[in-house]
Amino acid sequence: MLSQQIRIRQAKKRRTRYQVQWSAYGYLSPALVTIAVLSVIPTLLTFAVAFTNASAIHFTNPSFVGLKNFAALFNLNDPLAQVFIPTFIWTVVFAFVTTALNYFVGLFLAVLLNNKNMRETRLYRAILIIPWAVPALISTLIWQGLLNQSYGQVNAVLHMVGIPAIPWLVSPLWARVSIILVNLWLSFPFMMTVCLGGLQAIPGEWYEAASIDGATFWQRFRYITLPSIWKISLPLVIPSFAFQFNNFNAVYLLTGGGPARNSTQFAGYTDILASAAYKMTLDFNRYDLAATIAVVLFILVGFFSWINMRATGAFREAD
Amino acid sequence: MPQFKHRLSVSELLTLWLSRVVIWVAIILVIVPMLYVVTASFNPSQAYFSSSLIPSHPSLANYRALFAQGQFLIWLKNSSIVALSLGLGQLVITSTAAYAFSRMRFYGRKNGIMILLILQMFPNFLTISVIYYGLAQVGLLDNLWVYILVQLGGSAFNIWLLKNYFDTVPRELDEAAIMDGAGHRQIFWKIVLPLARPMLMVIFFFTLIGSFSEYILAGTIIQSASNYTLGLGLYSLISGEFAKNWGEFAAAALLSAAPLTIGFGIINKWIASGLVAGSVKG
Repeated sequence: MLSQQIRIRQAKKRRTRYQVQWSAYGYLSPALVTIAVLSVIPTLLTFAVAFTNASAIHFTNPSFVGLKNFAALFNLNDPLAQVFIPTFIWTVVFAFVTTALNYFVGLFLAVLLNNKNMRETRLYRAILIIPWAVPALISTLIWQGLLNQSYGQVNAVLHMVGIPAIPWLVSPLWARVSIILVNLWLSFPFMMTVCLGGLQAIPGEWYEAASIDGATFWQRFRYITLPSIWKISLPLVIPSFAFQFNNFNAVYLLTGGGPARNSTQFAGYTDILASAAYKMTLDFNRYDLAATIAVVLFILVGFFSWINMRATGAFREAD
Repeated sequence: MPQFKHRLSVSELLTLWLSRVVIWVAIILVIVPMLYVVTASFNPSQAYFSSSLIPSHPSLANYRALFAQGQFLIWLKNSSIVALSLGLGQLVITSTAAYAFSRMRFYGRKNGIMILLILQMFPNFLTISVIYYGLAQVGLLDNLWVYILVQLGGSAFNIWLLKNYFDTVPRELDEAAIMDGAGHRQIFWKIVLPLARPMLMVIFFFTLIGSFSEYILAGTIIQSASNYTLGLGLYSLISGEFAKNWGEFAAAALLSAAPLTIGFGIINKWIASGLVAGSVKG
């Protein structure tokens, strides 16, 4: 009994003294090696390749070209910039519109579902969550079929109610609308779930107190619901924007970046930067330009993440 | 919960029914597209250019064609290899690292996870140009194992999740084990890992399900049809001759999506029920 107490004391003593356990690096090595080799080194090499002319022509003997690739993307007189800049603008517009739309539709449905008079609300929630559960790759491809101009069921339904066929994935404007709507279909359940969680965390007494003070429905929503929800969902809205910014699947699997531009083959009307970089690599073997676009994206992702950490204090408590 | 039964006011009733109508419309928009896929999968070719939800000549022709050519089973096999390898790989990488961060003392412990998270802020699919260029130079393109390996790098977030979970495993258990002469290896294998099983399952299954939606790296690395994953196979079906393949695509999409959707539903329910969070309350 006594010896046990002494051992406990010794164990505690050992715990309080800071002693490096070298075996820890053994435990860490699988993670450190994979992250270094598969994540950090490719990132560093991407930065390096962005300053070379690596491409199909200079496949084995790339040379250093300085800022030439960056100049090509941002110099308005360069034919490449005439693709890059509209693609860049569309990427920003897409990410912004799609995040905002997903969020507000999710919030709207969450508010409707959070009605205590609606007894069957759990059933509705279970059904509305389905698009989140279906793997996004498969459902995006399904939508590519449903939106087919000649054979798709969407136009068949519209035809039934007397609306002429809409060139969903074919015209530049409708292709962009399609991407945003399909992405809404895929993403609103996540936002809805997050917002419902936020709504349920609001104490009911706040609403009662507000009603007693004579607050209208709108006032209660504006001054109680929105601020509370905003606080809970903000840490998710900014990463969601950063995610949409590089949402390759949403674009490439639906339209393949098309319809094609007349002026250039490098990027279509719906291509975002990530899918443009993919095409640069695989279709045109311009590793230099793809890497340059990736560097621009890295800088933007870093910027969004920094804003997010500032705004939410995420990971601050990480020990 | 028994509540006061009070009659709803007119405005409450109006709100309730308007909400219901909006939600019903949303439900129709969610369900009907899926039903069309089911319909298309049972419609033999050339019979599906209609808005009808009931197949005009229902048959299993599409399913038969899918299996007769054998390609679907190859995609399924490849995707399963990828998913299981990634799931297991993630478990090894994250559990060892999370254990070190949770239980051991070493230089870099304090800011280590933060640094890893920052390093992984940049999604690795943005490096496809370098991956493709590098693999092409050493002749390692079109290899399923390379495709798996390339994806193993992204583990920082899961390490962070698991480390927080390991922290909830009471340290008194460790101390008792140390008293009995156990070292880190025993504590890791016999105490922390078994108690963290729910979280390990979550990481395993989310990695597994997530791997089915990966396209950009698969499209970069894999080239020949015999190495296609489900994603690449489905894409090749629908972007090829559309009119000819839509029925087969629908059948393939249904067969692949159904188990994953159900699996996701179960895990989600499992997480929501608090099983994961509360299982080892100290």
